[in-house]
Amino acid sequence: MSDITVFAARKIITMDPSRPVASHVAVREGKVLAVGGADCADAWGPVTHDNSLAHAVLMPGFVEGHAHMMAGAMWNFAYAGYHDRIDPQGRLHKGMTDIGAVVARLREHVATLPAGQPLIAWGFDPIFLPTERLNRHHLDQIAADRPVVVMFSNFHLLCANSVALEMSGYSRDTNVEGVVKGDDGEPTGELQEMAAMFPVMRRTGMDFRGLSQKESAIRTYADVCKHAGVTTVTDLFSEMQDSDLAQLLAVTSDPGFALRLVPVLGAVGAAPQDIAQRALALRAKSTDKLRLGAVKLMTDGSIQGWTARVKWPGYVGGQPNGIWNTPPALIHELCATMQKNGVQMHIHVNGDEASAVTLDALEAAARAHPWPGARHVLQHCQMMGPDQFRRCAEMGVCTNIFSNHIWFFGDQHAALTIGEDRATRMDAVRSALDEGVHIAIHSDAPVTSMGPLFTAWCAVNRQTMSGRTLGTEQRITVEEALYAITLGAAYTLKLDAEIGSVETGKIADFAVLGDDPTTVDPMALKDVPVLGTVSGGRVNLI
Amino acid sequence: MRLPLTVISGYLGAGKTTLINRLLAEEHGLRLLVMVNDFGAINIDARLIAAADDDMIALTNGCVCCTMGADLFMALGDVLDRDPRPDHLVIEASGIADPAAIANAARAEPDLSYAGIVTLIDGLNGAALLADPLIAPQVAQQMRVADLLVLTKADSPDAELTEALRQNGIPGPLSLPRAAPLAPLLFGVMPRPGNHAAVPHPAYVGWSCPAPAPMSRTALRDKLNMRPAGIYRLKGFVPGSDGMTEVHVVGTHADLRPAQTGNAGLVALGLADRIGPAEIEAWWAS
Ligand SMILES: [Zn+2]
Ligand SMILES: [Zn+2]
Repeated sequence: MSDITVFAARKIITMDPSRPVASHVAVREGKVLAVGGADCADAWGPVTHDNSLAHAVLMPGFVEGHAHMMAGAMWNFAYAGYHDRIDPQGRLHKGMTDIGAVVARLREHVATLPAGQPLIAWGFDPIFLPTERLNRHHLDQIAADRPVVVMFSNFHLLCANSVALEMSGYSRDTNVEGVVKGDDGEPTGELQEMAAMFPVMRRTGMDFRGLSQKESAIRTYADVCKHAGVTTVTDLFSEMQDSDLAQLLAVTSDPGFALRLVPVLGAVGAAPQDIAQRALALRAKSTDKLRLGAVKLMTDGSIQGWTARVKWPGYVGGQPNGIWNTPPALIHELCATMQKNGVQMHIHVNGDEASAVTLDALEAAARAHPWPGARHVLQHCQMMGPDQFRRCAEMGVCTNIFSNHIWFFGDQHAALTIGEDRATRMDAVRSALDEGVHIAIHSDAPVTSMGPLFTAWCAVNRQTMSGRTLGTEQRITVEEALYAITLGAAYTLKLDAEIGSVETGKIADFAVLGDDPTTVDPMALKDVPVLGTVSGGRVNLI
Repeated sequence: MRLPLTVISGYLGAGKTTLINRLLAEEHGLRLLVMVNDFGAINIDARLIAAADDDMIALTNGCVCCTMGADLFMALGDVLDRDPRPDHLVIEASGIADPAAIANAARAEPDLSYAGIVTLIDGLNGAALLADPLIAPQVAQQMRVADLLVLTKADSPDAELTEALRQNGIPGPLSLPRAAPLAPLLFGVMPRPGNHAAVPHPAYVGWSCPAPAPMSRTALRDKLNMRPAGIYRLKGFVPGSDGMTEVHVVGTHADLRPAQTGNAGLVALGLADRIGPAEIEAWWAS
C-alpha cells in the first residue's frame, strides 16, 4: 500500500496563481504532495489512485473567519426563523414567514418532546413580519401544559407562554421594565433585555454557555462546517476556561475530527496585560487542529438594533447614537497592550464611528510598538468607506466584511436604519479591494447561516431579500469572492502558509463540490452543492 | 429568602475597586458575594484571604469575591443556585454598562430583591467625561439611574462638574463618610439576626417607628411619594384595612407589596449631612 494517494477530480480550482486549475492532487501525510495530472506524483514513488471524488469539483477547504460555536448546538432548540436553514444533520428547515407558520411548526416539534419538557425555540425575527407582535396567546396554542419560549434572533428579546410567565412570577401586578403589558394590563409574553428575560431563562434551563463548551457542541459545530464545505472555522469570542481548553484539545485531537478550530479569546474580565499573557499562554498550547492565541475585542453594538456607533448623520429614524460595549479609552489601552505583546486582535466594528475610533487606536498602537506583521482584523466593517479602507491599507489592517447582511438585512438598512444612500455602500468589499486591503467575508453564524458559497454569492450579487440589487458598484467578481472565502480568510488568521489554496506543501483540506462555481451563472453560486470536505487528506462526504 | 442585589457603577477609574475593597474588609457580619469585572484589580490584603483560585477569592470573614466571566446573567444564575446563598450580592458593573439594565434583574427575578444602584463620579475627570461626545450619553445614564451618587477623589464637586451635572439633569453627588462603615447605607439598616447589633455611626441618621398607625396602601404610596429626599433606606411593615404592606425603599425606588406576615414597624436611614431625624419624623407625622 502506497502512502501517496492521488485524488482525481472533475476539476480542481487551486487558488494557486501558478497553476489555477488541475485534474489531480496527490496527498501524503495529510499534506498536498503535488498538483497536476494523474501522473503528478509519480516522481515520489508508488501511488494509490482514488477516484471517489472524480465526479466532484475540488476547491481549497473554505475558511470561515467569523462564526461562533453555538451555531451548532443552537439546533438543540427548535428553529423559528424566517429564512430557510440547514441543520447539522443536513436537513432543510423551511423559513416561517408568518406567525401561523411558527405556531404550526412548533406544535409539530412539541409533540416530539417528553411530557413537561420546556419547548425552547430560536431565530425568530419580527423585523421581517410587519404584522401582529408574537404574544403568549400564540404560544399557548403550541402548548398550555409546559413552558414555551421563543428566543428572538438578536438574543435581546423573547416571548414566553402563560406557563412560563407564571413560573417566573410575572402577572398583571408585575411592574418591571422590559415586561411588556397589553391593553388588558396583562403581560403580553414579550420580555425585553436580559434582566426581564432572566427569570424565564433560568427556570427553563436556557444555558447558552452549554452551547459552546460541551463535547457535543464542538462536534455539532464540525457537522455544520462539513455541510458548508468549511475545513477551518473560528469561534470568535471564546471564554477559554482551563476546562474548556482541555475539552477542546481532547475533541480536536481525535483523528476523525475533520475541522481546524480557531477559538479567539474574548478580551474581557481581566486587565489588558493579563489578557495578553493569557493569549500568549494559549498560543503555546496550539495544535494542528486547534489554533489559539488571538483575542477578540468588542466595540459597539449592531446596526439593525440601532446600537452601532454611527457617524453623522446618524440613524434615519432619528434614533440616538448607539452604545459602546467597550469605552474608547479602553479600546485604546487594549490595542496598545496587545500590539506591545504581539497578540493579534479581531475587533468587532459595525458603525463607522466604531471603526474610526478603532483605526485611531490601532494607529497609536502601531506608532508606539511597531509590528509590521500584526494583521489585526476589523470584523463586520459594515459602514467603512474608501477613507477608512485606505487607512487599513496603510497600516496592514485586514477587514473581514459582513456580506451576508446585504441579503438578510439590506432592505431594512435602506428603509429603517441608515437610509438608502449609505445602505448602497454598506459592506463595501469592492472599495476595500480597490484600496488594496486584505479582505475576507463572513456569516457570523448563527446570526446568519454559515455557507461561504452563499456569502460569496452575497458579495458578488448584492441582492436583498426583496430581490433588488443594493449597491451595484460594490459588487465583486466570482474569482475575488472565491479568494475571499479561502486564501483571503486564511490570511486574516495567519494561516495562509498552511491552508487556503491547493498547492504543494499545504494541508490537504478541500471543499468537495457538485458543480463548478467559476462556470455557473453568478446568480447560481449559492446553489452549487457541497458534497463534503477533505480534511488533512481524509474524505468526509455528507 | 430573597437575595438583595446592589450594583456599583461608574466609569473607568471612578474608584469602584477602592469602594469594593472597603466593603469586603468592613466589619458588617454579612456574607457578601461581590462579582467584579477584573479580578486582578482587586488587591485584597493577603491576611484576609482564606482560599483563592482562578476566578474566586474567599475571605476569612465569609465574604466571597468572584469574576462574572463573559456572561453576567449566567453568573447571576450560579449565585442563586449556591447553597447557602450569600446574605447580599454586590455586582461591579463594567465602566460602560448601564447599571439599570443589571439592577432591573432584581425587580424581575422573584429570588432577588432590589438594593440599589450606587454610581461613583470621578471628582477629577467627571466634567471631562460629560463633555466627551463619544462617551457622555452613557456616563450620564449611569449617573441618572443611581439611587446613591457618590463623589470620589474630591470632597465636593468643582464648579465645572457642578455645571456639567446640572446641564445633564443630574443631582449633586454626596461624599461618603471617610471613617464610617458603609454597610448600613449600602446593605440595609437591619442587621442579620444573631449578628452584633449595628452601632449607629455619627455619619448616619437613623429613625424608627415601632408601631405605625394603620394606613391604606394608596395612602401609604401617596405618603412615600412625598418622602424627604435625604432618606436613603426605609423598610418595614405597615398595617392597613387591606392587610399588611411591606415597604422597601432604596434611594429613588419605592416598592410596596402585600405581605402575609411581618411585624409592624418601620426603620429609616440617611446621611447626617443630608437629613435629620426631626425632618423624617415631621414627614411621617404629617
Ligand atoms: Zn460582532
Ligand atoms: Zn460575531
